[in-house]
Amino acid sequence: MTQAASVDMTRINKFYGPFQALRDVSLHIPPGKVTCLIGPSGSGKSTLLRCINFLERYDAGEIRIDGQLIGYDTPGGRLMSGRRLREMRRDIGMVFQQFNLWPHMTALQNVAEGLERVRGLPRAEAEAQARAALDKVGLGDKTANHPARLSGGQQQRVAIARAIAMQPRVMLFDEPTSALDPELVGEVLAVMKQLAAEGMTMVVVTHEMGFAAHVADRVAFMERGELVAAGTPAEIFANPRDERIRAFLHSYHERNAFEV
Amino acid sequence: MFSIQTFLDAFVPLAWAARYTLLVSCLGIALGLVIGVVVCAMRLSGSRLARGIGALWVSFLRGVPLLVQLLLMFYLLPVIGIDVPPLVAAVVTVGICASAYISEIWRGAIGALPGGQTEAAQAIGMGPATIWRRIILPQAVVMSLPALVNELILLVKASSLVSVVGILELTRASQAQAATTFRPLEVYLAAACIYLAINLCLAALGRWLEHRMAI
Ligand SMILES: Nc1ncnc2c1ncn2[C@@H]1O[C@H](COP(=O)(O)OP(=O)(O)OP(=O)(O)O)[C@@H](O)[C@H]1O
Ligand SMILES: [Mg+2]
Repeated sequence: MTQAASVDMTRINKFYGPFQALRDVSLHIPPGKVTCLIGPSGSGKSTLLRCINFLERYDAGEIRIDGQLIGYDTPGGRLMSGRRLREMRRDIGMVFQQFNLWPHMTALQNVAEGLERVRGLPRAEAEAQARAALDKVGLGDKTANHPARLSGGQQQRVAIARAIAMQPRVMLFDEPTSALDPELVGEVLAVMKQLAAEGMTMVVVTHEMGFAAHVADRVAFMERGELVAAGTPAEIFANPRDERIRAFLHSYHERNAFEV
Repeated sequence: MFSIQTFLDAFVPLAWAARYTLLVSCLGIALGLVIGVVVCAMRLSGSRLARGIGALWVSFLRGVPLLVQLLLMFYLLPVIGIDVPPLVAAVVTVGICASAYISEIWRGAIGALPGGQTEAAQAIGMGPATIWRRIILPQAVVMSLPALVNELILLVKASSLVSVVGILELTRASQAQAATTFRPLEVYLAAACIYLAINLCLAALGRWLEHRMAI
């Protein structure tokens, strides 16, 4: 695999009109590790994640991918050129809650498209690499299916294949299993665990506390646009110091039975 | 008494006149598709001026009856020194009018695409031109097909209006035929059958295309 990258966020602020969605968020994402973002609904997890590949524009602060500032030419300066932003995005894979596959293309085309049109590989080479990526997520026999002919779990695995085929150095996941029927969650988490084991830098927004507790190297808890605490799963789950985390976990336990 | 013979006899001259009906509506929709793409792109563009012109274009053409548009065009062209056969003026007017509706059809289809698809493309580093060409347009075309076929059928019926600029299309021809034979019922029934046949064919063609292009 290509070298895993680190992500450094420093005092990120983000406004939607008068509403402040992110307040001075600073977070270090270590290379080759899994970092889970947890917190109540509306706390800004997705917003923060989407700032990392600049799908969402942050208003102040710095986000650096392996030291390279994303989104702006200089901190607080002008927006970086579209071309430069696209170059940086090639290295950052993203997986969405709703999969966001392209329905008019087969699984193979969904994965090959970026290789061909963005990385500029010849068609045959792009398809060979796409096949390999689909094999890796266990869908080598579904390459000819359109998304409508795949289960939710399979669609999400195609989406993961589409991202990893680009050989990213960081992978972002926004609630990758939230739209899935419970019995399909496992197959997607399995692929993610495999990716983690290979040393991919992963940032995962999730409501799967089991995954966060067992797979994450670090867990960050957000509330109301603030990063309340970040630490090892044990620090966050076993004996959280902050009252807000305790309250969140308490309400989570009430809704779901799970053991750490 | 209903005369079957007159009814059947009416078909030949009326079918011949229907070539204008088909010509005006088919060329009209073709022109409307081309102008419609441009107008739609203007309405979705980042430029305020382009958006304004696009919006004005659509609201004028949708707000003024086609009949009035045809008459306007017919009397306007000589004034500004353009001398074209009435048939050309008719096709252009119908095409321009259709472009307003078609641009809205495209815009609706594009708006109905889940935004996440574009984000997924942006996230792998795809540029806007490629996103339009590879992700948005192929789906918008398929999604808008039923509405476009519907628009074509509306145009076939609306094409009777071009008779005001002197084109002897199906409706005008049946009026003439009815007057000479004194058999309006038979003649208009024949005309109705021809319109119906044309539109059923178009609807079938549309369904076939939809099936062929189904996602
Ligand atoms: N485009 C937007 N315009 C205005 N407000 C927004 C927009 N997107 C998000 N917000 C607000 O910003 C806050 C953070 O939203 P975000 O989607 O990041 O939350 P989240 O932690 O991902 O929540 P969830 O767990 O429900 O996905 C919310 O209060 C939300 O209403
Ligand atoms: Mg979210």
